[in-house]
Amino acid sequence: MSSFDADVIIVGGGLAGLSAGITAVKEGLNVILLERGEYSGAKNVSGGRMYIHALQKLIPDALEKAPLERPITKETFEIYCGENKKLVFSFEEKGKKNSYSVLRAKFDRWLAGEAENLGLLISYSTLVLNAYRENGGITLETNRGTLRAPLVIDASGVTSIVFRSLGLRKFTPDKWMLGVKEIVKTDINLKEDEGEAKIVVNLIKGVNGGGFVYTNKDTLSVGMAVTFDSLPKSEVPAQDLVEVFRERLGIQGEVLEYSAHAIPYYGFKNLPPIYDKNVIAVGDAAGFLIDDGFTIRGMDLAIASGMIAGLAAKKIVDLKDFTRTDIYYQMLKESFVLKHLELAYSRFSLLNKPETLNTYPEVLCNVLSDIFTVTEERKTLIDYALFRLKEKGISLTQAIKDMVSAAK
Amino acid sequence: MIPLLKRLGLNKYNVDPKPHIEVNTDICITCKDKPCTVSCPAGTYEALPDGRIMVHYERCLECGGALVICPYGAIKFRFPEGGVSYNYG
Repeated sequence: MSSFDADVIIVGGGLAGLSAGITAVKEGLNVILLERGEYSGAKNVSGGRMYIHALQKLIPDALEKAPLERPITKETFEIYCGENKKLVFSFEEKGKKNSYSVLRAKFDRWLAGEAENLGLLISYSTLVLNAYRENGGITLETNRGTLRAPLVIDASGVTSIVFRSLGLRKFTPDKWMLGVKEIVKTDINLKEDEGEAKIVVNLIKGVNGGGFVYTNKDTLSVGMAVTFDSLPKSEVPAQDLVEVFRERLGIQGEVLEYSAHAIPYYGFKNLPPIYDKNVIAVGDAAGFLIDDGFTIRGMDLAIASGMIAGLAAKKIVDLKDFTRTDIYYQMLKESFVLKHLELAYSRFSLLNKPETLNTYPEVLCNVLSDIFTVTEERKTLIDYALFRLKEKGISLTQAIKDMVSAAK
Repeated sequence: MIPLLKRLGLNKYNVDPKPHIEVNTDICITCKDKPCTVSCPAGTYEALPDGRIMVHYERCLECGGALVICPYGAIKFRFPEGGVSYNYG
């Protein structure tokens, strides 16, 4: 056993990996974290909104010291429907501090500093190229040589190098989204303690997904997330997606950065294996993303799953039985992570049906157009609705069924 | 619209001297639709008149999409040493 370099090696220094590292170090384990970027956050991109409940568990005084951008106090949905119609609605709750816009290059670098202060050893610019089983542990081949541990936490993001190398991943373009994003310098006409998260649907034709605009301190995060299998059907190629989106929204300002990142889009029932002998997957590497139509979240799931992995690692190391990674899974099942993923699944799968984000908004907008048009002809609201549904080939039964799953 | 190369130029790159993306262009010749050319946010894959694909690996934004965008398994991808570093993310 002395041939191991650490009790636990964590691959990836993003939110999940750092949360696992911080927790494992606090538990007294001997941990090495490998990060392929020059610094944590160098390779990380998020839409840019974090629900902070998990962060506050990890770092209790995070609100005072974390480099958060703005609290999100306004939710706006902008749904384009048909040629010249759009539906917009907003909900505002001043003083709310449940979620914040964040910029990951700043945020992760800060969190890595916190982790290092707590004694976590991070090796930067260290790229894992391959992983295989050997003598009761995992051997990692990196650009800086070989490392071995009886337990490896895969926090390497959606491409999950460790699980992939062990043959535990099979990727398909319908289960991943491409996220593209620009940081735009512009005047934010909001008070310091206010921020807006805007979701935009149907502005670009052919893609399965949507766009977002989040307000940061003095920039906007403007981007889109669409499934990879829908890109060949898009009216705009991937490389121009965010530019066309930004222009159609009329957002002007200096573009400071253009970035892209793949996003897991599995849904609860299609999650990949998240534990196996000697290995545990956390965050994006485990496929943890929730999109229930109202909230889109990955970062809180990353932090929480990382923390659970750190606690599970301690139990597994104490047992000296590195086949018992199911301990991690049991703890996850008892946590909000898997519970929320399961809760979101009904709307997640509804959102993945083409009629949800394309046809229904059109029906709704057509009904609204009818209602707001006055001529000698006038029908009841339900008659307009039935007519506009029928026009799109949707039966009333189907519409009611979908409404019920949307309410779950 | 800001041209792609100008947008990519905003980012800091430390290009890996060894190409981190390899494409089996013999497969590309038989591929009609070439989904890679419209699925990569960095325009890494360029179709040539002879039906092969030219790889501009130095443009890569390291999104990871290369692992899913080719239905014929012609793209071999690993992350580069160095590569892109984001300032905002």
